[in-house]
Amino acid sequence: MSAPRKAGGAGDRPDLLTAVLFVGFGALGLWAGRDLTLGMASAMGPGYLPRIVCWLLIIVGVTVGGVGAFRDRQEIATPKLWPVAIILASVVGFAFIAEFFGFVAASVWLLVVGSLADRDSKLREVILLTAGLTAFGALVFIVGLGVQMPIWPF
Amino acid sequence: MNFIDLLMLGFSEALTPTNLGFCLLGALLGTLIGVLPGIGPTATIAVLLPITFYLPPLAGLIMLAGIYYGAQYGGSTTAILVNLPGEASSVVTAIDGYKMAQKGRAGSALAVAALGSFFAGTVATFGIALAGPTLSSFALSFGPTEYVSLMLFGLLAATVLARGPVLKAIGMILLGLLLGMVGIDASSGEERLTFSAVELFDGIDFVVIAIGLFGFAEIIENLENHEARGVLVSKLSRLWPTREDFRRAWPAVLRGTGVGTFLGVLPGGGATLASFCAYSVEKKISKNPSEFGEGAVEGVAGPEAANNAGAQSSFIPLLTLGIPSNNMMAMMLSAFIIHGITPGPTVLATQPEIFWGLVASMWIGNLMLVVINLPLIGVWVKLLTVPYRLLYPAILLFCCVGVYSINNRIFDVVLAAGFGLLGYAFRKAKCEAGPLLLGFVLGPLLETNIRRAMTISHGDPSVFYERPISLVLLIATVGMFVLMVLPSFRRTREVAFQDEEA
Repeated sequence: MSAPRKAGGAGDRPDLLTAVLFVGFGALGLWAGRDLTLGMASAMGPGYLPRIVCWLLIIVGVTVGGVGAFRDRQEIATPKLWPVAIILASVVGFAFIAEFFGFVAASVWLLVVGSLADRDSKLREVILLTAGLTAFGALVFIVGLGVQMPIWPF
Repeated sequence: MNFIDLLMLGFSEALTPTNLGFCLLGALLGTLIGVLPGIGPTATIAVLLPITFYLPPLAGLIMLAGIYYGAQYGGSTTAILVNLPGEASSVVTAIDGYKMAQKGRAGSALAVAALGSFFAGTVATFGIALAGPTLSSFALSFGPTEYVSLMLFGLLAATVLARGPVLKAIGMILLGLLLGMVGIDASSGEERLTFSAVELFDGIDFVVIAIGLFGFAEIIENLENHEARGVLVSKLSRLWPTREDFRRAWPAVLRGTGVGTFLGVLPGGGATLASFCAYSVEKKISKNPSEFGEGAVEGVAGPEAANNAGAQSSFIPLLTLGIPSNNMMAMMLSAFIIHGITPGPTVLATQPEIFWGLVASMWIGNLMLVVINLPLIGVWVKLLTVPYRLLYPAILLFCCVGVYSINNRIFDVVLAAGFGLLGYAFRKAKCEAGPLLLGFVLGPLLETNIRRAMTISHGDPSVFYERPISLVLLIATVGMFVLMVLPSFRRTREVAFQDEEA
């Protein structure tokens, strides 16, 4: 984590982000559960406690954000989009490829694309690592432990 | 059956070749991830959880437990030799341990750490064996009201003792509770918060959340904080501590064990908190505190004993009451549930071999760790030179296979990737994900018990303060909340955790 820079002005950015997340999820929960039966305290319906939890979450979020807005300014550590995007893409790709083309193809995709996330990766290492881990995974997970996944696409 | 018989039963279970093998595997894996910075026991256990489904229940639990306490040993090795704590719980060990190593007493520090940990592990294991049956017979008299109060107490205490701002931690717990409510409501059969997605009718799987928040998010964060790790390994001297070191270390080990065992039992406690407290205890009672930071053997012995004792004794609330006290134990709880066992007072009565086998394996595992660690230190230190770019693809693969194998469907993997993104956002927002996991695990239990208690009382909330045990727990919860709001306590707490981050 890079050290938070202290610039002029107010607003603890991590706290404000927290507030957005908490209030957002609270509101989402309230919206998703809008049709649920509330019931009474003695016979609670499925919507009773979710609604309480959502409101508490919103209250906590507003409090964190309210306090954070008046604190000294703190920046969020600058996000780097590259690793986030690459890791998520490799993982989602793995799932779809595994479903239709089997483990070997999925694993090669995951490891080769996933290795792009680290700029230090060297081609030779990636090839060796991919081959080794794919073989290991196929043997241990699918043959050994019996995970339900075809090895080959055919 | 009396105590000895039960312990014998435990050992006969733990000593079967399979269980012994998985105990060794867990201890080795634990040491490995303890040595490697950037991979913690929480992420490792999240990754291995789905795999334990394919193992016999006891073997899986033994392995996971081994990873947790093994990591405490491994973390101290690197803390002492290269000033690089592999685990949060060995951060304080690095202070004096590395100084000792620089003065050519690395062997002494390592041996004190390993022997102190072994002693503490032994004591804490007996603590579990003794406290288990007593506490669980007590817990059998608990009704829904008591459970609700106990869980509220546990959840709040976990936020006080965990690091980070309390309010954020409470928010994370609430979010965890909310996530735990997704799926079909147990008592009415109505689906809720599922956005009509059939895949969510069974609720979100624990493994999906754990791997997303801890596995994927951690990989992304490690890749972002690109740091060159210059590793300078101190020369290893003779391994046996001097008589002087022994004389000074053993009272510290005793104190560390006491502190660790006690703090491990508390909600939110565990290895990390225990080691920090033990260090400050040693510093306070020492005759010459100025030695601390300059290679005081007590500063290694105390915290190392404490983190191991804390790691073991944090199993007590889980095994006896069925309430996990930190996110590691939340993982263990779901490992039990994967095998259809609900930990709690009834396990001791109906499946004594699980409880006693696990306890016995912990002692065996600690013995193995001393053997693994002391002669093989050279090997472990070599592992430090493995760069992260070779490690993370392997972790990534394990995570993906693990999530996919729960239900064999794409949905879970994509959802886990989504939680990875969420976990990343939470790290940016400086919110610790641990409390969320705790809330998620306890949520359904809490809701069932609240509804039950309120149904029994016909909607009258006074039951919660009319029953004595429940009242005591509620008073403790309120007291803790008041303490937390008091400025003086808040300041001490912040100071304590600032030390931790330094």
